[in-house]
Amino acid sequence: MEIIWQGIKQAIILIFTGNREVYEILFLTLRVSGSAVFFSILLGIPVGVLVGLNKFPLKKFIIAVINTGMGLPPVAAGLIVTLFIWRSGMLGFLKLMYTPTAMVIAQVLIASPIIAGITLAAVQQIDPKLRQQVLSLGANRFQVYWILIREARLPALAAVMAGFGGIISEVGAVIMVGGNIKGETRVLTTATVQMVRMGNFDMAIALVVILLAITFGVNFLLTLVQQKEGIGWIRRF
Amino acid sequence: MDKKILEISDLKKKYNSKFCLDVNNLYAEKGKILTIIGPNGSGKSTLIRLINLLERPDEGKIYFNSHEITNGEVSQTEVRKKMAVVFQEPLLFNTSVYTNIIMGLRIRKIKLSGIKDRIDYFTGKLKITDLLNRSTKNLSGGEKQRVSLARALVLDPELLLLDEPLANIDQSSRESLREDLFGVLRGYGKSVVYVTHDRNEAMMLADNIAVMDRGKILQFAGKEEIFRKPVNEFIARFVGVETLVDGVILERKGNVCKVGVTARKSNIEVSVVSQERRGTRVTLAIRPEDVILYSTEISSKESSAMNLFKGKITEIRDIGIFKRIEIDCGFPLSSFVTQNSVNRLKLALGKEITAAVKASSIHMFKR
Repeated sequence: MEIIWQGIKQAIILIFTGNREVYEILFLTLRVSGSAVFFSILLGIPVGVLVGLNKFPLKKFIIAVINTGMGLPPVAAGLIVTLFIWRSGMLGFLKLMYTPTAMVIAQVLIASPIIAGITLAAVQQIDPKLRQQVLSLGANRFQVYWILIREARLPALAAVMAGFGGIISEVGAVIMVGGNIKGETRVLTTATVQMVRMGNFDMAIALVVILLAITFGVNFLLTLVQQKEGIGWIRRF
Repeated sequence: MDKKILEISDLKKKYNSKFCLDVNNLYAEKGKILTIIGPNGSGKSTLIRLINLLERPDEGKIYFNSHEITNGEVSQTEVRKKMAVVFQEPLLFNTSVYTNIIMGLRIRKIKLSGIKDRIDYFTGKLKITDLLNRSTKNLSGGEKQRVSLARALVLDPELLLLDEPLANIDQSSRESLREDLFGVLRGYGKSVVYVTHDRNEAMMLADNIAVMDRGKILQFAGKEEIFRKPVNEFIARFVGVETLVDGVILERKGNVCKVGVTARKSNIEVSVVSQERRGTRVTLAIRPEDVILYSTEISSKESSAMNLFKGKITEIRDIGIFKRIEIDCGFPLSSFVTQNSVNRLKLALGKEITAAVKASSIHMFKR
């Protein structure tokens, strides 16, 4: 127990005295996972809506692929990305290995199926009659998608939370494609692993406390938005 | 200028395993209300979805403002933008009432600034002005349908399609919604297709009526004609005819036919105004409100075109403001009378009574 209290005390000191290394790690984590969530939304929500609302051959197969992707182990995602961006790989010439960009790509691979899968389920839950109502109001294809995704905004936000939670806490993919290089690709999770290995428990606890605080903070914000009545219906479209 | 805003010809669409919608000819006139009436499962809603291009017909054509809209050449979205549909369920979006009402306007990119009066008018008429800032989640069924109606009406469509808008509303709020909606529609002056299974709604509202059953239009005519001259037993029952008896035309003098009706004891002759030929097998339709009761003997010479039937009262039943009296005069004949008449004529079970029906009030159709 003693070691935990000691660690938490140390963590608070580290956080509030502006320890440079801690802040570097924190900002890189937010940058990488933030960008990854952003791109995953950009990719996952449209895919979820298109697959969920349209009929086409192989639809069930595509849904199965997305659902599998939702459970994709981070190490698998890391390996796939590594195979592409490895020096001799297909995209090797881009020299992405061991860069934050590579970490973002790996995390997008993890989060976008989660967001697509939940969005897909959400829009499939919408009464098909509501879609007819939207059409009969004169909506074109794009307007239909836009209106229905806003109708499914609560589960869509849950999808974003799940996606964010999935990537900010993962370590397998970022350590594989990022390499945990100090000051360059070291994020909260990989740094924690490193500190534990080195026996530096104070630092490890500090990093985990920060990680938990971020996760809680982001989810708390999204929950506030989700639970608020009528929000999300921006007047223009 | 063509008076028809909508015309349907030879439209076919299989809509469930049993029935196929098969509409040869149906049209809606500009500025008039066409009600399509029929029991559940008769294909009314399918017809509405076909008109709104939410479904494709298997065969046939639909014309809107004299232009064919079913040939795939016109943009479905552009056609829909000229119409508005209110479905049986309100189908609101999970947001405020106001945002719901202006949803169609937003989609159609109609500027709100120019039509504030219109929005105020319809929300006022439908009594939802106080609800505008509320979330639709906590509205009652009736309130939701008011919002749905307002959402369609503010679009000022060339053709308003209403698919049983009152059918899913509970009895208590239906009455008041009907009153408010019909109030709007009466002064509306726009083209409306109103689908219902309720004959009272149809009668209250319609200029023209199409009666549907099992995918087919059984009769399409003006309200009076459907009411007075139903073409078969189904429609006759539907428009409230209680007495239907079979007979054969024995002779015709001028425009009055003598119809022989096989009654229980002896044959009865009934005079009916009609041009049908001798020997035609017909069904006579008598509306209960056209049957007048007398407690004393009256002379049949009073009017040659008056039928008098003698019989005993077999049933007296309360049906709201009227009493329904059933008389056995060889065949069962029913009549609607007021409580006042029941008292005055001292009507009671088993009492002998004379029922009078004008020859011009009896309608007949071929069997």
